[in-house]
Amino acid sequence: MTAAEAVGSLVTDGATLGIGGQTLGRVTMSLAHEIIRQGIKDLTLVGCSMSMSMDMLVGAGLVRRTECGTGNLERIGTTMRWRRAIEEGRLEVEDYSHLGMASRFLAGSLGLPFMPSKSMLGTDILNKKNPHGRKAYELIDNPWEPGDPVVLVPALNPDVSIIHTQKADRMGNVVIEGFTTHEVEMAKASNAVIVSCEELIDTDDVRSDPDRTAIPYIYVDAVVVQPWGAYPTSTYRYYVQDEDHLRRYQSAARAGGAEYDEYLRRAVYDHATFDGFLEREVGSARLDELRATMQTLL
Amino acid sequence: MSQYNGYGLDELMVVEASRHISDWDIVLIGTGMPVVAGMMALKNHAPNMCFVVETGPMAPEVIPTPSSVADARVMYRSVKNGSLIDSLGGVLQRGMADIGFIGGAQIDQFANVNSTVIGDYNAPRVRFPGSGGANDMASHAKKVLIIARHELRRFPSNCDFITSPGYIDGPEGRKNAGLPVPYPDILVFTDLAVMAIDKATGRLRVAKLMPGVSLDQVRENTGFEPVVTGAPAAVEPPSDHELRILREQVDPTGVYLKAPE
Repeated sequence: MTAAEAVGSLVTDGATLGIGGQTLGRVTMSLAHEIIRQGIKDLTLVGCSMSMSMDMLVGAGLVRRTECGTGNLERIGTTMRWRRAIEEGRLEVEDYSHLGMASRFLAGSLGLPFMPSKSMLGTDILNKKNPHGRKAYELIDNPWEPGDPVVLVPALNPDVSIIHTQKADRMGNVVIEGFTTHEVEMAKASNAVIVSCEELIDTDDVRSDPDRTAIPYIYVDAVVVQPWGAYPTSTYRYYVQDEDHLRRYQSAARAGGAEYDEYLRRAVYDHATFDGFLEREVGSARLDELRATMQTLL
Repeated sequence: MSQYNGYGLDELMVVEASRHISDWDIVLIGTGMPVVAGMMALKNHAPNMCFVVETGPMAPEVIPTPSSVADARVMYRSVKNGSLIDSLGGVLQRGMADIGFIGGAQIDQFANVNSTVIGDYNAPRVRFPGSGGANDMASHAKKVLIIARHELRRFPSNCDFITSPGYIDGPEGRKNAGLPVPYPDILVFTDLAVMAIDKATGRLRVAKLMPGVSLDQVRENTGFEPVVTGAPAAVEPPSDHELRILREQVDPTGVYLKAPE
């Protein structure tokens, strides 16, 4: 399936959208570009460490709310379009710790209404008064150990989640190499899942080595083959992140206004597909370097 | 004269923090400077420490120099590449972590850390990235290490927003909140001093001063009056061996640290 078909048929205005990847690794760039191209709006983005794909969706004016652990490009800085939207009061946010968010997806993946946690106690993550929507947590007394407070976080079942990974087959079986962050729980909790992958593999390969399957096909609705689909972030075993591009992005995101619009135009709107962006704005020489550098780190 | 005589206080901050990690410790490493100090321990004196990154990698050998917790360098020869539930749930919340190692935008007198907002949560003046795994590390590790440059604005008397718990509001703060580790050691490493939680008051005490730094300098750059008992000792300068490891095996290209000219 193409990214345009997958996004067009599964992501709708107002959706709660689960975001895969973490900070600078396997970030869902190509699928985010497609959502921006199609102008799908009023989104609630949910994830753990959300970074550049979230920031671009916010920067394109398509996001109403985020629920996450961080908005973060690590050494490159805070996700600036997200930060400014919060500071200017244009975005609803709900903060959790990463374990808090991962526990919400875990509850959703198990068909449970909530998950207990011993994180976040005594902090303003719980004390915060959030005027938006329903209560973000509940505090109960451990029924088996009275006097022991326990936080309950609500299950999170996204309407649709997007994940970029190394390998998948035509059935929708997904192989994740390296860290899996919150993605397996999030995928199982989601009502629909779109996976973009570096490589399509044969189902025979999956069946001959089934222990490598991170997410079985029953949870997955669309597989889009998109090499470099996490660019400019990294994909473990395939390519490292492009720090120069990330810094150029951050500079535009920090500036906002016309400079940011120009970034979106050159990265997204000028192209019919993600491949167009890669060919005209990045080039194969740069991509080859990123692939070669990854080979030295394995 | 040794070629390593000169060193920066940023370098010593990392080296000193690393000295508080022991061989065989299970250590949850946060993004940024904790990665460097964790690597310093791993390469220098704690080859059997279990370096755990929140994204999921466990016990990697780590090659220089990761710029991200999603970097292939933190997955190098790991024994398992798991998930957030594995690292923050199965290791931390399960009570397996000897040390949680974090940074932070603000650190207050009770060693609470703010990495969320300056100002009101619902109308912040400045928005920071948020907790990530830091709250989980500060909640569940048996010992918490915090590393940050020592600037007045970073050390207010009370954080605008408590993202990660220190002793919250006093010696019984964590116990009263129901945190699973009620009385952890908490140490704060800066380029001016080492501060440690004084368990009697739940407040930060100046434990050591960096070489050449006075107590007055620490007070001038701290928004609260830290506890002082007697004359704090000086942090031991880095040995040639430590500097060689730091500059050659931990951060040879200066991703995080620049050696002085």
